[in-house]
This record gives sequence, structure tokens and C-alpha cells, in this order.
Amino acid sequence: MLTVKILGSGCPNCKKVESIAKLAAQTMGMEAEFVKVTDYSEIMKYPILSTPGLVINEKVVCAGRIPNQAEVTTWLANAEMEAA
Amino acid sequence: MEFLSLIGRLFQSGVGNLASYLAAHVLLCLLPAFYIAGAMTALIPKETVTRFLGRSTPKFISYPASAAAGFLLAVCSCTVIPLFAGIYKKGAGLGPAITFLFIAPAINILALVYTGGVIGMDLAIARLLLSLTFGIGIGIIMALIFRREDKEHDKATDALFAGQAAMRRAAVIFLLVLVALLVAGTFQFDFLKQAYAQIELPLSGAQPFQDFLYRLVPFDPARGEEGVTAQGALLIGMLVLIGLTSWKGVEKIHEGFNAWTWISTALVGLTLLVASLGVMPHTGGLTIAFTGKFFGVLLSVIFLGWMIKAVLTEDETRDFLWESWKFVKQIFPLLIVGVFAVGIIRMLIRPEWIEAVAGQNSVVGNVVGVIFGVFMYFPTLVEVPIAQMFLSLGMHRGPLLAYLISDPELSLQSILITAAIIGKLKAWVYVGWVALFSTLAGLIYGAWVDGTSIGVVFLYLVSFLAVLAGILWFVNNRQGRVVEHGASVH
Repeated sequence: MLTVKILGSGCPNCKKVESIAKLAAQTMGMEAEFVKVTDYSEIMKYPILSTPGLVINEKVVCAGRIPNQAEVTTWLANAEMEAA
Repeated sequence: MEFLSLIGRLFQSGVGNLASYLAAHVLLCLLPAFYIAGAMTALIPKETVTRFLGRSTPKFISYPASAAAGFLLAVCSCTVIPLFAGIYKKGAGLGPAITFLFIAPAINILALVYTGGVIGMDLAIARLLLSLTFGIGIGIIMALIFRREDKEHDKATDALFAGQAAMRRAAVIFLLVLVALLVAGTFQFDFLKQAYAQIELPLSGAQPFQDFLYRLVPFDPARGEEGVTAQGALLIGMLVLIGLTSWKGVEKIHEGFNAWTWISTALVGLTLLVASLGVMPHTGGLTIAFTGKFFGVLLSVIFLGWMIKAVLTEDETRDFLWESWKFVKQIFPLLIVGVFAVGIIRMLIRPEWIEAVAGQNSVVGNVVGVIFGVFMYFPTLVEVPIAQMFLSLGMHRGPLLAYLISDPELSLQSILITAAIIGKLKAWVYVGWVALFSTLAGLIYGAWVDGTSIGVVFLYLVSFLAVLAGILWFVNNRQGRVVEHGASVH
């Protein structure tokens, strides 16, 4: 199962990213664990320069913007292929 | 009974302040400013600036680049802290990181435009120039004081800063037209204020309506208060409509555009046009003047509308509208509460108090301005109506600037976050320098307001920076020799 982390202090953009990522996983019928990371010292461990950040299986796929559902779907599919 | 009437008067003062702010100041300056902030966040790729913030970039590029990053990229706190930590830990180091941290809140585009619109362009320009100079100055000082630790700091890769991206030319033009819209709407040039055509509407209700509004929201020009005009009342109504339609059209914009998206966007353009008209009610009806301002706004709005429809990609338009709306949603409610509260507080403070403490451009006055700024934390932009209240109560413009620079800069919350990233000692040293430089900024600007010529002011500034550089060079040199000496002994 994939682990999807959303990095961000809880700003409106982080919530958008979370809902888009969840929707993408749901549409694909994929099971994934969603973790919200709000602590800045945790967030800083990832190489990002602005939030929100989206991390799939410990790999940063997107930071500083809101991706669209198609992009997230591609990343999730790629991550699953790598994991398999 | 007396108590009740006092409460009533306070409430009325709050509402009056709010209404006159919404009508007079918000529209032509804040509405474009929110859109500019949104466009900057959505359309400027961070890599255009961050690639100059890596470890291998020469210092004379990385400091100005950090200042630029503070201005262009850090409109939202989502960027400030991660980028600050990134520059400090993996990029150009402590100095540029501190410059970035200082500049970001000091010359945030929204705050700058709002200061210019409400208090005056001179103060906004002083805030911009002095913040730039001092931001870079504090960065260099911090880097020198803590240079040993900074050198030890990890020699990790520059990968985080290697990304390259260019801004699309269309996006640049879009941003420039937004700026033109702001300039046309707010700047007090003669050719913008002049009326080129006017029409008469025989609306006999206009004057009684205006009188009714003045009675409803009584005001005293001597205290710096403003009334609500008939045009203002109409604009407040349109603002409410924009809020409602945006809620329907922009809140869920990531699921696609809908009719409400376009209705709210068109409504914004229409509101700006109404705001730029000169409306004068008189006994016979209503005179509407088409000023240079109106034509400037009209041209900009048409051009922007065309660009949104035909030139920007769907992604760009969506991000632009969403980011602008996000700022409005985050900041506007707090601003409304703040302005209302300022209206109430204004009734309770006696001008004599302000006059006595900060009526002159004295060192004490400036220090008081800074201390007030440090201990009071107001949400973004609320510092501006508060500053205007102080100004109307007799505060000198020098201490006012000292307050305006220190308030967004230093708050307990931001000090704590900074301390978590760079350590307590560095954070408090930084706070000390910011307090010193804010005081100094106030003194320098105050001297200029009091009539000292710009050349002399500039001389003060340069000689202060020279003394500072001299001291640091001296300390640096001595320590360098000690280190060399120590090395040769071994």
C-alpha cells in the first residue's frame, strides 16, 4: 500500500491538495494511507522550498502548487509500479 | 444611561470607520493589489529567483536575489518559512536567508500598496527603500557575526536550487497590466484626476440619499474621519455581491470553471469602473464625471479580460483566480474586524497622549513606535489602519514608519519559528538588529519629513553604514588574524 504525505501547516492550498489526492486515489480504486504533516521541523526534512508538498512513498512529487487530478493519478500509478 | 450611550457611540464609530474604509480605500487600491498578489503567486515560477540562491552563487548576486525573492515569491506564508529554511540550510547561507526573512513581510505587495493608498505614497516608498537597504544590511551583519558556524554548515548539494524556469512573456505582460490598473486607479496625477467628459442624471433622490448617509454615519473631518458617499454605498453593495459570487464560482474552481466564476470576475471589473467614476450628487440630480482615472481603468480592465479569455492557459487562469481569492479569504475578514476595532479604539485614545509620546521625531518617539510594533501583533494589513489612526491622532510620520516596519517584522510567533530553524541565540540577535534598524529608519525618514534635505539624509545613511561596515571589518580582521596566528603555532 502506498503512503501519501501532505506537507503543509494547514493552509487552504494544503487542504486542496489533500482532497485532490484523495479523489485521485479513490477514482483509481487504489488503497493508500494519507498522512498530514503539519510540524515544520518534519516538513523541513523534505527538500521543498514551499508548501504544500505532496510526497508519495517518501518521494516528493510536487511542491509549492496545486496539482490537478490527472497529474496525481500519474504519480500514484508510477509509485505503484515502482513499489511492485 | 450614560454608559449605554457611550457603547452606542463606540459602535457607531466602528461601523463608520468600516464603511468609509470599504468605500473609499479598499476598491481601487486593494482589489487590484489582491489580484497582483494572486498573479505573482500563480504566474511567477519560483525557480526564476531561487536558482540564484544556491551555495555556489556569488554573494553580490545572492543578497539582491534574496531581496527579490522576499518581494516576488513570499506573498504567502506558505513560502516564507520553507524558503527561509531552505536558503539557510541548503542554499546561500545565513546572510541571504536573513535578508529574505526581513524583506518578505516588510515589502509585501499588499501591505505596500495599502500603505500607499491609505497613508501616502511617500511613506510607502520610504518603507520600500529603507527595508531593502536594511534587509541586505542585517543579512550581511548576521553572516559576519555567525560566519564560523555558517561555514561549518552542511556542504550539501545545490540540487534544491538548480531548477530553471522562465516566466512566460504573456504572464509578464499580464502582471504589468495589473500594475497599470493599480497605478491608474490610485495615483494622484493631474491627468488622471481631470474630467474629460461628464453627464447629468436627473435623479432627484441622489442628494437626499447622500444626506441620509451622512446622518447615518456621522463624521468629523478634523479627527481624520470620512463619511460614506452615495457612490461608496453602491460600491459596498457590489463588494458583497463579489464575495457571494466568488464563493460560488471560485471556491470550487479546481473542479472546473462555472458560470459564477465569470459572473464574479466580470463583477470585479464593473466595480472597479464604478469606483473610478467621479460622482457628485446635487439638488437637481447627479453629475457623473469621466476622469482620466476612469479611462485608464477601462483600458486595463478590457485588456485583462481579453488576456484571461484568449492568452492565458486554463491552468494559469485557474491558479490566478484561486490564489487571489485565497488571499481575499485569508486576509479580508480579519481586516474588516481590525478596521471596526480601530474605529472603536480611536474614540478612546486622547490625541494628547499620542502627541506627548510620539508627536516629535525624537529617539524616544521612534523607540516607542518600535516597541509597540514588537509587542502588538496584528494580522496582515491591519497594521495600516492602525497606523492611520495614530497619524490622525497626531503621531509624527517618523515614529509611524518605525512602527510600520517593526510590526509585521517582529511578532512573538515569527520569532519562535525563526528560533526553531536557526537557534535561539541567532534569532534574538536578529531581533535586536531589526529593532535597532527600525528605529533608525523612523529617525531618518522623520528627519526628511521635518525638512532635512535628501542629500543630508542620504549622507546620514551612508555614514552610518560606513561606520557599521568599519566596525565589522575590524572585528573580522582581528579574528582572522587570531585564527591565522593559531594556525601558525600548530
